[in-house]
Amino acid sequence: MVVSVGQRRLRAWVAGAFADVRRALPFLAVGLLTGFMSLLLVPVAVLVLLIGWPALPAAARRLRRWAGLERRRLGGFTGTPVAQHYPPLDGPLPDQIRAVLTDPSARRDLAWLAVHGLTGTVLGLIAIGLPLGAISAMLVPFYWWALPADRPVTSPYPVTSWGRALAMPLIALGYAALTLLLVPRLVRWQTTWSRALLSPAAGVRLRAQVAELTASRAAALEVHGTELRRIERDLHDGTQNRLVGVVLQLGIAERALRRDPDAALPLVLRAQNAATDALAELRDVVRTIYPPVLAELGLDGAVAALVARCPVPATVATNGLRRAPAAVEAAAYFVIAEALTNVARHSRAQRAEVRLSTRPDQTLVIEVLDDGHGGADQAAGSGLLGIRRRIAALGGRIELASPPGGPTVLRVELPCGF
Amino acid sequence: MRVLIAEDDALLREGLVLLLGNEGIDVTAAVDNADDFLAAVSDRRPDAAVVDVRLPPSFSNEGIRAAVEARRRIPQLPILVLSAYVEDSYATDLLATGAGGVGYLLKERVGKVATFLDALRRVVDGGTVLDPEVVSQLMVRRRADDPMRTLTPREREVLALMAEGYANSDIAAQLVVSDTAVSKHIGNIFAKLGLSPTDTGHRRVLAVLAYLRS
Repeated sequence: MVVSVGQRRLRAWVAGAFADVRRALPFLAVGLLTGFMSLLLVPVAVLVLLIGWPALPAAARRLRRWAGLERRRLGGFTGTPVAQHYPPLDGPLPDQIRAVLTDPSARRDLAWLAVHGLTGTVLGLIAIGLPLGAISAMLVPFYWWALPADRPVTSPYPVTSWGRALAMPLIALGYAALTLLLVPRLVRWQTTWSRALLSPAAGVRLRAQVAELTASRAAALEVHGTELRRIERDLHDGTQNRLVGVVLQLGIAERALRRDPDAALPLVLRAQNAATDALAELRDVVRTIYPPVLAELGLDGAVAALVARCPVPATVATNGLRRAPAAVEAAAYFVIAEALTNVARHSRAQRAEVRLSTRPDQTLVIEVLDDGHGGADQAAGSGLLGIRRRIAALGGRIELASPPGGPTVLRVELPCGF
Repeated sequence: MRVLIAEDDALLREGLVLLLGNEGIDVTAAVDNADDFLAAVSDRRPDAAVVDVRLPPSFSNEGIRAAVEARRRIPQLPILVLSAYVEDSYATDLLATGAGGVGYLLKERVGKVATFLDALRRVVDGGTVLDPEVVSQLMVRRRADDPMRTLTPREREVLALMAEGYANSDIAAQLVVSDTAVSKHIGNIFAKLGLSPTDTGHRRVLAVLAYLRS
């Protein structure tokens, strides 16, 4: 029993190791090639660094590409992409040279070139040599006798008799065992070193992240500011003007009341209508800030309600839709409301469909399709203009495809990962 | 009196035309943008202009810029600017265009027709009119060691009305006191604030505003 358990475990281990080796060998074999190339490039790089500064930017660009190839290879093999971060190389030559000399990533690339030149070559040779040794040792008993007696197989010992030749499979077994034991380790070492040297230094990575966050935060604040300006304008030029209109009408009525009380009544009624208009206007502005239905039902629920109200039979399909920031959902809601209004008014469509999805890059994608007569003009329509402004404020994109004869597809993308 | 109106909101424009018309004031033209306004200023030669601060295309301060330009073309053209909100830099820009004949009021003041007409007449007569809201904003932003704190409540009222551009007799009527009482208050105010007494016109408003802004 014990033996059979041991055997089973051994068999399982061999099978696992064998699979590892089969995967690792091509990687290490290519590593042998790139390592050998790197080894040859090291003196070139050192020469450029010592006496060829004008060629430094060009050399750095090539080194970036060369390291980039290895990053892709490494990322592909390990399944985890290797990050890269380089400062841009442009402007006049002296600036470029300075950029290369002060770039920590360039130094790391150079260190990688030297280390990979050595380890890639050596590990690659070992990884390929061991299984080749096993195969050649296995074959010795078949041909040793055919060799001239003064030039026998000499590795790892001179094979000059059948006894010695028949011992060779044992040597082959040794090589095979070494292959299974060592190659998975070699590939682990190789990938660890390469990843450590090819990834940006921690400081550089953090700086890049900070720069990215700063940019996205600035973008978010800008979006917020644009939205505030829009609301301010709507309130001042819309609602407030309507209220001024009420006050003005009441002023006229008050003056009329003094002169001719009978003439005042229609003026008071006009003022009342103006006040009602002002309320409606205020309601509209508040609704454009954030439609209350979004808070209650979410974007999909709110759109379903829009679709249900649409005079053209319409459906809504969501695919991987996630919650987005309130400003984005509000913009999406108005895009769809406006689009469905246009479908009902102009397209003479029989059916319409709204598709909502969130892409993996945190972009909300809205598509409104209809089977109407097409020919919609995205420049026309003041409603669409407001929508475009809103989308632009959020850094989104709008596309309208509406060939004559239809179908019409409105596609809007709104980034939501600020 | 022939008045030119520049207001982009159609309902308000019509309302203003109706209001002024009912009061026997001739509206010579009512336009909705700065270019037409400047053209009408040259063509129609109105006695006064009523201008909204926010006009197309950018709805920021086109009205103020148009008013300043109109006063450059026709010096002393009486202009009353209407604004949806208080911004004392607008008032400053306007006052800088010369001696009197300018006004800056919040839009809703048009509803108090009598006051609005009075303001318009004062502007046409070369006076200076500032919205009480502008003045009170200037009066609250004071430092702790300010001589303003030594003013009596009545003197503060008089100071505010001076800043709004009222003449002594108007101030006396509004506060229901005698002209001599107003003169005495003004003398005290100028002494306490260290201002040199000036005449009752635009220069006095400027002096008071300069003090309030300092």
